[in-house]
Amino acid sequence: MNRGRLGRVGVGAGLAAFVLWTLLPILWLVISSLLRTKALTSRPPDLSAASWTLGNYREVLASGQALGPALLTSAIVSLGTTLIALALGSAAGYALARLSIPGGDRIALLVLATQMFPGIVIVIPLFIVMSRLGLIDTRAGLIVVYLSFVLPVVIWILKGFFEAIPPELEKAAAVDGASAWNTFRLVVLPISWPPLFAAGVFAFIEAWNEFLFAVVLTRLHTKTVPIAISEFAGQYQTKIGEMMAAAVLASLPVVALAIIFRKAILRGFAEGAVKG
Amino acid sequence: MARVELSGVTKRYGGVEAVAGVDLAIADGEFLTLLGPSGCGKSTTLNLLAGLEDATAGDILFDGRRVNGLGPFQRDVAMVFQQYALYPHMTVAENIGFTLRLQKQPKSDIRRRVGEVAGLLELTPYLDRLPRELSGGQQQRVALGRAVIREPRVFLFDEPFSNLDASLRLRMREEVKVLHQRLGVTSIFVTHDQEEAMSLSDRIAVMRAGRIEQVATPAEIYAHPATQYVARFIGSPPMDMLSGVLASGPVFRAGALAFAMPERLADGAAGRDVVLGVRAEHVQVMPGGSDAVVRVTQPLGPFTNVTVDWEGGSLTARVPGMAVFSPGERVRVRLDPSGVRLFDRDSGRSIPG
Repeated sequence: MNRGRLGRVGVGAGLAAFVLWTLLPILWLVISSLLRTKALTSRPPDLSAASWTLGNYREVLASGQALGPALLTSAIVSLGTTLIALALGSAAGYALARLSIPGGDRIALLVLATQMFPGIVIVIPLFIVMSRLGLIDTRAGLIVVYLSFVLPVVIWILKGFFEAIPPELEKAAAVDGASAWNTFRLVVLPISWPPLFAAGVFAFIEAWNEFLFAVVLTRLHTKTVPIAISEFAGQYQTKIGEMMAAAVLASLPVVALAIIFRKAILRGFAEGAVKG
Repeated sequence: MARVELSGVTKRYGGVEAVAGVDLAIADGEFLTLLGPSGCGKSTTLNLLAGLEDATAGDILFDGRRVNGLGPFQRDVAMVFQQYALYPHMTVAENIGFTLRLQKQPKSDIRRRVGEVAGLLELTPYLDRLPRELSGGQQQRVALGRAVIREPRVFLFDEPFSNLDASLRLRMREEVKVLHQRLGVTSIFVTHDQEEAMSLSDRIAVMRAGRIEQVATPAEIYAHPATQYVARFIGSPPMDMLSGVLASGPVFRAGALAFAMPERLADGAAGRDVVLGVRAEHVQVMPGGSDAVVRVTQPLGPFTNVTVDWEGGSLTARVPGMAVFSPGERVRVRLDPSGVRLFDRDSGRSIPG
């Protein structure tokens, strides 16, 4: 019993350390966004009452640093990526899970294999392809590129879920006279919301946070939020406080998403099976 | 309602023959059970009948018309599954009425029909609940309701009660039987539970390795199993088997004991290696004597199963009343000649006589 208790304490301490490890940078981000530049850059940072300010946020929202347009672009690109990834991913995942496609397993592996190339390897060839297609500096171009690495993961998340649905459910629908499409639409989809949320939030976050492709494939018109934030670091000076404030603002939608759909996300990832 | 025939029906998965040339005719309104252990091909046969899978070879006929290639809905069959397979996001009423909704029937009609079926199955108070809010027995009744509302030509049951506990299983068995008596729809029931098969069926088809070992009424299968395999599968306890020799007299020698045999068995079995099969109710154990020694007794209420050993053999007897014997006791053993069956030792087939 003593060992059990010791074990629990150990696990608790380990988890606490992990949470701290994860949250500390975010805490520091929030703190830096609320400090005057002088207080932030002095060593050690001056945390006295006089150092705190909301000025950074005012600057970011008022100034011409283009965070507003960037937020809009990011929202459109991320939502577009998410919706298309879910539409294509659910169909592909269902097909790979349920239909007996010749070589289906290999196709599924191939889909996953695309994840093995680091982005930096393909970014230059991709730039050439996209410029030939006239998709440089367009939202559509970004969506296409983001889909290329978001869709495979979405397919795999949803494939795993669809495989866990008892096949009897679809047999029952067939006996009741449902076509394949009606079975998918009226039986499979309505019980698939948790994994769809999980996959959707994943897709959204990936697209929202992406930096490398965005910095190479966009110019003026389609700056996304991470690009806009990076531009606070100028040639002659870096507005650290404003950069941090912008970063906090940019994180809010994702945090909100995670909080709102927390339950659905957890269920989507944890509970593969459907309980009848 | 329909007459169902299978002729040479075969299903192969790659190199594996799950169903190997099954011939079977099921009469209009009959209740037939496919019985066998897991992997014997009974569920595959049912899926082939349902149209959920296509036969590799052979014909399936409903009322003389070939239905191969038709889906379950066109065949007009309804099916009840082991896992209930209720739609988890639909209420009881929506589950039962789903098939009518797919047929685009008017809402008022659907509501009326669902109401009738719910009344029949005593589900009326639960119509607005979700499946997960129901007990296992209620869920299985919803699954029945979903089948009944179709008014199909054939009911198919795929081990519908194996997820239920023992007492509920008895009640559901009764309900299915009453339902069949009332609706008279041709029913094909798959189970590995011999008691379920015995109590429900007009006829039982015992399956083994994709083939039908014997098709007969429960009484016939119980009294005259065609093979040792069937004999071991049916009855609780199953038929006891004794290896031995048939000698003139005729007597059957199993180790140190010899049992007088009826004349009818002498001819067919003369000179063959045989196995004697006998059910517990045809074995008599009496106090006094030195034939065998009691190993164990199992009192079951109205009777007690008494297992006895002797050199070279062992049998279980069903004795009326609660235990009257104790372990280690020496007893006399007699067989009721009318209940004795002989099987060929090599082929396992029954020797007629």
